[in-house]
Amino acid sequence: MGLLAIGTPLEWPEAKKVASHVRAWGIEQLLAIWNHAKGKERDAMLWGDEIEYLVVAYDEDAHKVRLSLRQADILAALASDEKLLSQGGGVPDLERGSVPENDITAPVFHPEFGRFMLEATPGKPWGIGFKDLLDVERNMKWRRKIAKEHMDSTEFPITLTTFPSLGREDCTIPSYPVSGPKLRSQFVPDEIANPHIRFPTLAANIRARRGRKVEINVPIFKDEKTPWPFRDPTVNYDLHKWPEDDDVRNGAAKENYIYMDAMAFGMGSCCLQITFQAKNIEEGRKMYDQLSPLGPILLALTAATPIYKGFLADTDVRWNQISKAVDDRTAEELGEKPLKNDRWRVPKSRYASNSTYISEDTRLRPEYLDPNLVIDTDLKKRLVEGGMDDLLATHFAHLFIRDPIVVFSEDLKELDLTKADHFENLQSTNWQHMRFKPPPPGSDMGWRVEFRPMEIQITDFENAAFSIFIVLITRAILSYDLNFYIPITRVSENMETAHKRDAVNTEKFYFRKDPFQVRSVEGGAVSGNSRPATPPLLPVEEEYTLMTINEIINGQPDKDGNGFPGLIPLVENYLDSMNVDVETRCALARYLELIRRRADGSLWTAAKWIREFVKRHPKYARDSQVDDEIQYDLVKTVEGITRSEGRDGVGAEMLGRGR
Amino acid sequence: MKLILSTSNIMTNTTVIRRPTFEKSNTELVASLRANFAAHQSSASRSQSPSPRTSSPSPISTIPSFRTWTTQQDQTLYIPTHNPSPLSEPRDAYDITVKLFYLPNIPAYKRCLQTREAIDLVLRELGTTSIDLLIVSFPGISFDADDEDSSDSDLEADIDVVSPKEPTPDSTTITTSSSSSSSSTPATGSDDQESPPEDIPTMLQTWHTLETLHASGLVSKLGIAEFGCQRLAKFLPHTRVRPSVNQINVRDCCVVPKPLILFAKKEGIELLTHNDCTNVLPRGTLRELLGPGGEGREKGAGVLAGHGFEGGLKGDVEPQFVVKYTAVVKDRGVVESKGYFAVAELREEV
Repeated sequence: MGLLAIGTPLEWPEAKKVASHVRAWGIEQLLAIWNHAKGKERDAMLWGDEIEYLVVAYDEDAHKVRLSLRQADILAALASDEKLLSQGGGVPDLERGSVPENDITAPVFHPEFGRFMLEATPGKPWGIGFKDLLDVERNMKWRRKIAKEHMDSTEFPITLTTFPSLGREDCTIPSYPVSGPKLRSQFVPDEIANPHIRFPTLAANIRARRGRKVEINVPIFKDEKTPWPFRDPTVNYDLHKWPEDDDVRNGAAKENYIYMDAMAFGMGSCCLQITFQAKNIEEGRKMYDQLSPLGPILLALTAATPIYKGFLADTDVRWNQISKAVDDRTAEELGEKPLKNDRWRVPKSRYASNSTYISEDTRLRPEYLDPNLVIDTDLKKRLVEGGMDDLLATHFAHLFIRDPIVVFSEDLKELDLTKADHFENLQSTNWQHMRFKPPPPGSDMGWRVEFRPMEIQITDFENAAFSIFIVLITRAILSYDLNFYIPITRVSENMETAHKRDAVNTEKFYFRKDPFQVRSVEGGAVSGNSRPATPPLLPVEEEYTLMTINEIINGQPDKDGNGFPGLIPLVENYLDSMNVDVETRCALARYLELIRRRADGSLWTAAKWIREFVKRHPKYARDSQVDDEIQYDLVKTVEGITRSEGRDGVGAEMLGRGR
Repeated sequence: MKLILSTSNIMTNTTVIRRPTFEKSNTELVASLRANFAAHQSSASRSQSPSPRTSSPSPISTIPSFRTWTTQQDQTLYIPTHNPSPLSEPRDAYDITVKLFYLPNIPAYKRCLQTREAIDLVLRELGTTSIDLLIVSFPGISFDADDEDSSDSDLEADIDVVSPKEPTPDSTTITTSSSSSSSSTPATGSDDQESPPEDIPTMLQTWHTLETLHASGLVSKLGIAEFGCQRLAKFLPHTRVRPSVNQINVRDCCVVPKPLILFAKKEGIELLTHNDCTNVLPRGTLRELLGPGGEGREKGAGVLAGHGFEGGLKGDVEPQFVVKYTAVVKDRGVVESKGYFAVAELREEV
C-alpha cells in the first residue's frame, strides 16, 4: 500500500474543508509529472506481482482457527532478519537491504489494511526474458516460505481472499471488543485494521463523509435448510453506543442478505495485482484500454470468495464487497436525496470498475466512452491549459471528483512540485480495476499500468499462472495490435455478471468479436498503396456479442475464420513467434493448461471448490452456515494444498492431477 | 522466371490464428500468403474501378490481372508487389531470427546462393544489415524419425513413446484440423513425397556456407532444426561454428527425450520449440496458391494458367526455398515484424 507518511491526520469535517485545496495541488503535481515524463521513451518491459496473505493462527486443541493480528511483529521480524536484508529483502517501510547487482534479490514485504494481512512482492521487478517467467512461481513459493519463517509455529500465511468467519465472535487472536470509535462496527473491533494512523483515519473518514457506516449486503446462498426469508441472525439491533448503531434500525441490513458494516470486510480481502511498465505513455495508455475489457473475465475466472461472515454467499467474488466497504458517497451523491450540498450524483464507489478509456488510438470510437461520465470541469480545464490532451485530462478530472480522505495537516503548508503526495492522495484512493500510473517524480521509472481485478488463488502455482498469463496477453496485445474495445459501460455490466455464482461456467459476457480489425489510418500506409482499405465501420452494437468465458479464453468454433480466436490461442501464437526454449515452453504450457481448463469448466474455481468442501463437510447442516469446525478443516486443507498442489488428490478438482 | 512470394508483416495484418497450436503445419505460411495476395488484388481492383467499396469479396470475373498487383523486374516476378517495411527502432533493440527452409529435390550445391538470397530478402525487408540467429531446416528430417532409425535403441528407448511420428507426407503439408482458421490445399502429385533426409556430409557442405556468413558478421548465431542425438553427434565434430540452437517440435510439450536434453546441455546447444512442418511448401500447394481462380477460400491467385484460365503464366513451378523472419523488441518481448518469403522457379512453356 505504501505511502505511510507520518503526520497529523485531519478528522473529517476539517479534511472536507481542505479537499479542494488538496485536489488543486494534486492537479499541479500531476501536470508537473506529466510535463516532465510525457516524452519518456523506450522503457523496458518490467513488471511486478503482489501477493496478499491472510495470517491465520491454529488452536489445535480447540480445533479452531483465528486471524492473527500480529502483522506488526511479523513485519518487524522480517525487517530485522540480517540474512534477508543482505539479499536485498526486508520491509521497505521499515528496513530493507540494498538490492544486490546481478544476484538473486530476496522478496520484500509490506503492511496492508487488515492487521491480519501481509503483502509480498518480488525484490526487484521481473523482465520479459522467458527465464524470468520461470522464476515467478519459485519466487512466490520463496515468499510464502520466508513469511512463514517469521511467524509463530501456530501461524500460517494462506492465500484465501477472505477469512470465512471474519466478523463473527472470537475470530481474531488476540481478541478485542467490537464497537470501537473509528469503525463503530458491531462485528469487528477497531484493532482489526493496521494501527498506522492512515488506516483507521481512512476508515473513520469514509464513514464520516458518508454520514453512516458503510453498508455491505451480500446475497445469502439459499440451501435446503436455510431459513427463508433469511434475516442475518448475527445482527444486533439493540446497540446504542454510537449514532451509527441506528443504521440497522434504519434498514441497513437487508432481508436475504449477509450484512456487514466495516471497511475491514472489503479491504481485508486478498487480491492478485500485476503492474506493467510500458515503453512510453502511449503504450501505457493503450495497455490500460485493452486490458480493461479483460478485467471482468479474469475476475470471474479467478473467483475465490464464496463465504462471508460465516455464511455461504450467493456470489463468487470479492469485488463489490470491497466496493461497498469503501463507499464514501453521501446520500445526495447516491441519489437518495436531492442534491443540495454535494456537487454531483456519483454512480460508482471509489472502488469500482473503471469508467474511462484513455488511449489516443484511432480505434477508440466515441461510442465506447461513458456518456454520463462525471468529471470536475474546472480541474479538467486546468489540465488542458497545462498542456494535457482532452482524453487524459478527462480521465484525471474523473478521478478527481472524489474528496481526499486522509489529509495530513503538515502537508498543506507549501506546494511541492517535486512530490506527488497530493496527486497520489486522490489517485491511490481511486481503486478502479485498472490504474494508470504516472512515473513517480525523481525516479527513472516509466509509465505503468496496474491490472487489479484478479482474486488471489490458493496456490502459488495458480498465482504464477494467472500473473504470467496476463503478462503474455499484454505481449500478444502489443505484438498483434489487438483490439478489445467495447463500450466501457458494457465492461461495467460484465463486472456485475462476474459476481454471479459459477459465472465462469454459466454466464455470458460482452466481448468484441474481431480483435484484428485494422486501424483506419493505416489503410494505405503499411506497404505503399497495397493494403486493403478499411472496411466501413460496423455499428458499435455489432462489434461485440455475448460470449462464455470458455469462448473468450479458448476461442469460438471457427465459422469461416470469423469466430473469436480465444485469448489462449492468441498467446500460443505469440509464443510460436518467439524463441522459447523447451523447458520454458513446457512450464508455460502447464500454466496455460490451468487457465484453459478453468475456462472450459473441467477444473473448478476456488469458489466452487470451497462451496463443495463445505457442502461435503459432515458438520454442514445445509443451512448456509459455515461454523468454526468447518472453517478449521477448510483452512487446514487449504494450507495443505499450498504445499501438495493437488498431487495427493486434494484440490485436484481445482488444480488437476499429476503436474 | 523467378517468383518471389511474400506475406509482408503478418503481425499487424493477421487474421490467421492457428488452433490447435502444437501441431506442425504450414497454415501460417499458406494462409498469410493467400491473405496478402487477396489484399493486393482487392486494392488493385479498387484502383482500377472506382466503384464503391463492397464488403463481400469480388466475384471471380472481376479479379484483376495479376499484372496489376505484382511487379516484374527482369526475370523476377514479385507476388505481390513488394515494399519493404523497415524496423522502427535502432538495430540493437531487436533480436532478429531467420529460419531458412531448404526444400526437397533441390540439389545441395544450390544452397550457397539460396542462403545468401534469403538473407538479402530479409535484410532488405527489415532495413537492416545483420541477423542474430539463422536456423536452417534440412528437408526430410524430424528428430523422432531420425532417432528411430538409429540402432542404438538403448540410448533413446523412450523416444517412441514420447514423440509422435511426423504425419504422412500429405498431411504434413496440409492442415487437416477442421478447427483451423484457414486451410491450405492438399498437396497433389507424387512429386511432393517427402524426400529422405540427406546424409551428414551433404548437410555439412551446406553448413560450411553458413559458417562463412557467420565469419563475415552477417549472422551472429547459427541453428538447426529437428536434430536428434544421433545426428547431432555425427554432425558436431565436423563443424567449425557450432549450432547454438536446435529447434524441435514438442507436441503437447513437456515430454522431450531426456538424452536429447542432456546431450544438448552438454554441448551448449539451446533447445528451442517450433511447430513448422519440414516440407513447408510442397509443389502442389504452391500450384494451388498461384493457380487459376476458383470458388471459396481455396481459389488461386490467378498467376498461373490452367483449367481453361488463359490469363496466367504457363509452365511448371518448383519451390526453391522458404524463409521466415521474426524481429522481436528484446527488452519488451514484442514481435514487431514477422513474415515469410517463398521463392520458386517457373519453367515457362515456350
